[in-house]
Amino acid sequence: MAYHLLQRDRGGAQGLSDALAHALQTIRHCNKCNTFTEDDVCARCMSTHRDPSLLCVVETPVDMNMMEQTLSYRGLYYVLMGKISPLDGVSARSLGLDRLLARALDGVIKEVVLATNYTNEGEATAHYIAAMLRPKGVTVTRIARGVPVGGELEYVDSGTLAQALRERKTCLG
Amino acid sequence: MNLRSKVDGQPAYVLHTYPFRETSLIVEVFSRDFGRMALLARGARRPRSAIRGLLMAFQPLEIGWAGKGEVLTLMKAEWQGGQPLLAGEALFCGYYLNELLINLLPREDAHERLFASYAHMLGRLADDPAGKVREADLRSFEKALLQELGYGLTLNHDSAGLPIDPEAFYTYRMEQGPVRLEHDEAAAQVFIGQTLLDLAAEDFANPRSRHESKALMRTLMAYYLAGKELETRRIFKELQEL
Repeated sequence: MAYHLLQRDRGGAQGLSDALAHALQTIRHCNKCNTFTEDDVCARCMSTHRDPSLLCVVETPVDMNMMEQTLSYRGLYYVLMGKISPLDGVSARSLGLDRLLARALDGVIKEVVLATNYTNEGEATAHYIAAMLRPKGVTVTRIARGVPVGGELEYVDSGTLAQALRERKTCLG
Repeated sequence: MNLRSKVDGQPAYVLHTYPFRETSLIVEVFSRDFGRMALLARGARRPRSAIRGLLMAFQPLEIGWAGKGEVLTLMKAEWQGGQPLLAGEALFCGYYLNELLINLLPREDAHERLFASYAHMLGRLADDPAGKVREADLRSFEKALLQELGYGLTLNHDSAGLPIDPEAFYTYRMEQGPVRLEHDEAAAQVFIGQTLLDLAAEDFANPRSRHESKALMRTLMAYYLAGKELETRRIFKELQEL
């Protein structure tokens, strides 16, 4: 790509370079949810149509977009921009979880929904956040896992099915 | 014929994965017959990769690899199942085991007994969400690890060859073992004889033995890790300070 731009599309290269420079200068982290934004507080956090008592914790801005696509969640977010990974040397401190703590204790938030990934690192992060928030009187919940919607058992991987079996629920009503 | 160049159906656990290039992973595994190995999992980070969700630490797998050179290519991974995923504090204990293995176990050195003890330990962690047996288990794994690496502990007799007196006081010198302390003798770390005997028998019912065994193991691990601080221990501390 570098050779192509230099040889055949110098205008495009300039445009790309300007766009990157502009992004680097103007894009920062939202003061409330920590996602990327050009303002101090992003439009989503400013919205008056959202439920300010719900806070969903996700690992990345992409995960936040996925949650938004469900059209099922109307609360606010906190984007960690990473996950706790002991073997990569990422601890709670380096992830800045104290900022999440301050955010969750704003007095308005009643429930924190942990939507970190269902990987070991995501689970470790969720455990840490739950241990951090529970003593402070905030309700902490974790998104469920199991067989995908429309999923046929025949095609579900055994690990998922085994976990779904372990986390089975009583049928009500 | 190079035995390691084509292997199939090998019981193994993933210890850690590192991203490699755009879509691949370097997978650090602990295999039963070949010990710790680095394998290249091509395309494992592609969204629809069949093994993407399989290469998770703490889950029993059967893997196959092929190739030459230092890093071999992972050809196959099959989930063996039956073991719940680690959660909560047990997960952090699991990370601790993996960090010890990554830092202390030389590559491609078979340790079948240690593999069995690791598998057993993960099973215990997975089945014990209340965290009752964890401390004792961690100690016996640390002991097994040192034994396998050839740094076996001397716990039944002191440096002079005399049996350990449960009531006497000892200090532990590296490569030498327990050294009996005289009445007024001071040492950086002092253990009562009973602790050494309990650690030898892996009986951690006595709180003092439990406490002192932990201190002794920590000193030994720090010595063999040559000053490297474990990340998992740092996170454990952060977690306890909450």
